[in-house]
Amino acid sequence: MRVLTVDDSRTILAMLHHTLTNAGFEVLQAENGQVGLDMLGREDVDVVITDINMPVMDGIEFIKQVRATGKHQSLPILILTTETSQDKRDQGRAAGGTGWIVKPFDPEKLISVINKVVH
Amino acid sequence: MSDLDEFKATYFDECSELLLELEEQFSAIQEGDRDSERLNAVFRAIHSIKGGGGAFGFDGLVKFAHSFETLLDYVRDGKVELSEDVIVLCIRSIDIVADFVGAARTGDALAASYGAVEKAQFDALARGQSAGAASTDDEPMDDFDIDFTPVAVNLERELPMASTAPATDGMTRWTIGFTPFPTLYERANDPLLLFRELGMLGTMTVTPRLKPMPKLADFDPFGVYCAWDIELVSDRASADTIREVFEFVDGDCAITIEMHEGSAPAAIALDDDDLPSFAALAEMAKAERKFIATGDADDMGAGADLSALLDDTKAEAAAPAPLHLVAEAAPAPATAANRDRSTDAPEDSASSGRPVGMQSIRVDLDKVDRVVNMVGELVITQSMLTQQMDDAIRDRYQELVRGIEVLAQTTRGLQDAVMAIRAQPVKSVFSRMPRLVRELASKTGKKIKLETIGENTEIDKTVIEQLSDPLTHMVRNSADHGIESPEKRVSRGKPEVGTVRLSAEQAGGNILIIVEDDGGGINRDRVLEIARERGVVGPDQQMTDEQIDNLIFAPGFSTASEVSDISGRGVGMDVVLSNIKKIGGSVHVRSWTGKGTRMTLRLPLTLAVLDVMLVKVAGSPYVIPLSSIVETIQNSRADFGHMPSGGKVLQVRGEYVQVVDLATRFEMTTDQAEDSRFVVLCEAEGNSKIALVVDDIIGQQQVVIKSLEENFERIDGIAGGTILGDGNVALIVDVQSLKSGTAHQTAA
Repeated sequence: MRVLTVDDSRTILAMLHHTLTNAGFEVLQAENGQVGLDMLGREDVDVVITDINMPVMDGIEFIKQVRATGKHQSLPILILTTETSQDKRDQGRAAGGTGWIVKPFDPEKLISVINKVVH
Repeated sequence: MSDLDEFKATYFDECSELLLELEEQFSAIQEGDRDSERLNAVFRAIHSIKGGGGAFGFDGLVKFAHSFETLLDYVRDGKVELSEDVIVLCIRSIDIVADFVGAARTGDALAASYGAVEKAQFDALARGQSAGAASTDDEPMDDFDIDFTPVAVNLERELPMASTAPATDGMTRWTIGFTPFPTLYERANDPLLLFRELGMLGTMTVTPRLKPMPKLADFDPFGVYCAWDIELVSDRASADTIREVFEFVDGDCAITIEMHEGSAPAAIALDDDDLPSFAALAEMAKAERKFIATGDADDMGAGADLSALLDDTKAEAAAPAPLHLVAEAAPAPATAANRDRSTDAPEDSASSGRPVGMQSIRVDLDKVDRVVNMVGELVITQSMLTQQMDDAIRDRYQELVRGIEVLAQTTRGLQDAVMAIRAQPVKSVFSRMPRLVRELASKTGKKIKLETIGENTEIDKTVIEQLSDPLTHMVRNSADHGIESPEKRVSRGKPEVGTVRLSAEQAGGNILIIVEDDGGGINRDRVLEIARERGVVGPDQQMTDEQIDNLIFAPGFSTASEVSDISGRGVGMDVVLSNIKKIGGSVHVRSWTGKGTRMTLRLPLTLAVLDVMLVKVAGSPYVIPLSSIVETIQNSRADFGHMPSGGKVLQVRGEYVQVVDLATRFEMTTDQAEDSRFVVLCEAEGNSKIALVVDDIIGQQQVVIKSLEENFERIDGIAGGTILGDGNVALIVDVQSLKSGTAHQTAA
């Protein structure tokens, strides 16, 4: 099972990497939406976890672009965000986000949320 | 927990970079550049600091950053004007965030009220824009503080039964109607996964309600051709837990949840607007099969029955999301339960994980240092090889010689490449200066602008680490002593705001760092007066302007008539000189009366490899850093004199220099004739000189410095060791400590 993690914060990427590899996932990392998008062009992944606020290409645009490529219409995308204002989360869902994870995340919860959206 | 420590280290690293970015962006914003990307960047930086801080429970930091971020969000949206006051507040707050981060790093506690004034200002500004709204102060924080528990959010209607907990003993039967909308599939949600999760709550029966399939040509992969009725028998489900299962598809489907207790069902219908059509559809469904799914994942394989049912209408090419995913359930056994996840892909769990596609990797500095050291050794071995090739060898072994020449080139290339790995932009040191200058300006009531140039110039990391203190001192000196008060500046016809310019550039094998100010310049009369008072300069000694200027680096020299809180503290610019010398650099000052002062630091590109003179004392090799050597003289030509105390002095161009015989100093005996020995005239701190007597001078070369303290113990008079090309160990003479040692001895 491969997870693409997209976040401009190295701290968050490192924590995701640690939690996910411990749970047996293979983890790919991208520091912004554009890098993530490029990576999706080359790599097959089972689920994507993406931040919203990022330089170059933010999470909303990233999700839109992923959905716009025919290949990834049924790829689960989880929005990782501290935004509890509902705003960003709704924007992310409208763009095609499958679900969301609120930072700071608890490792067990993170895994259970992923299990909610992947086979 | 070491993992946590590691994450924290990453976080603090990242914070340093983000704070730097904040400084830079706000400097540009203050200059009038209001590009929206700048505002986005500062927002992201604060947001990231807050996000990471939350993960580690740095509450004070998170709360402050949150208020900061909220304001920035309003500014970004144009709801709060980015006035000069707001910018000043933000810049001050960067320092506060830096202090919070610093305190979190060291584990120190900051005063509970730290940053409270600024936080209140943020909150007031934010409130001002959202008048009447709930206090921005507390509300979002409560949200932010919640521990992550997936809760059903944004319920259209409050569930009347929500508070009715199911009977803890005894089963409750639920019927759930689930009708997806196309958006559910567009967002890659999958009914099967929802069933799987729902099935974990108890025993479940799922009945599809099929709509007639269109012709293949009309088939919409994201169309809705199926709805489901679910019966769940559970001892632990509640309306809330069921809602929670459908959390991610809230708004993307119609759900009804009914609870049946005993024989009297209590029905709750939600979102039922869309139901009638599907109820009709259900009747139209010609084939209807039931399958049972319990919490056991394997049973989900029964979903294959459903897919078989749909087989004849399944579009081959389109891979329609809903059908495709359902059909896939059959060949994917045991994927449902969490506990099976780890066994699902054991080969992927290779602990290293592969962070594919990162533009950079992070490596322990130790590892890089090891490579740098070994490359240093390689360079030296290679140069030894080259040196040993005499004409006879060149004639005889041409191929070998060519090989060694290629090796020389490659080794140099390797050295450059390795040094580049450890090189860092001076930005990391420069970035601390704006805050310093701001604080200083506010303490002294001066107006000072700091300009930085060439901050991307790269220097070896080890040099950078040593650079911070001296540079801080120099910038303080320029701002504190150089720049005049605004009134004085105006009266002299200068702009009210003084400028301190900090620049870095590479010049050959050196880095030049220049601190320049447009202040009053050095008061030479006063400097000379003090220098004479303190005996730094003889009463009748004539000095050029330049020599006088450089007196400010003389030990113990300070021109500030009153000890300033900022640059004073009894330590003068002599500390700068000694620090810079320690890293093999030099410092020079020039001043123009009434116009300003320029201090130039010249630094080596790296500290790993040292240019030295190889000498011999009592049969053992020693090396003396080339940077401290002024000249060498044959003993027979040297002009020695004797002091009444018995000490030996060397007279050079009218100056008397103390003589230290290294053989005597290191308690060895030499049989070398006195006349055939050499004097190496060295310069120590503050232009003071010392003459070292050695047996022989062998030549110049580069060596890799090895610490003596790490490998053996500290020896007075020795700065370290090095391994020569022939495998012998040579000790590096510590000119500075020999000088102060003799001063001490003669004084005693």
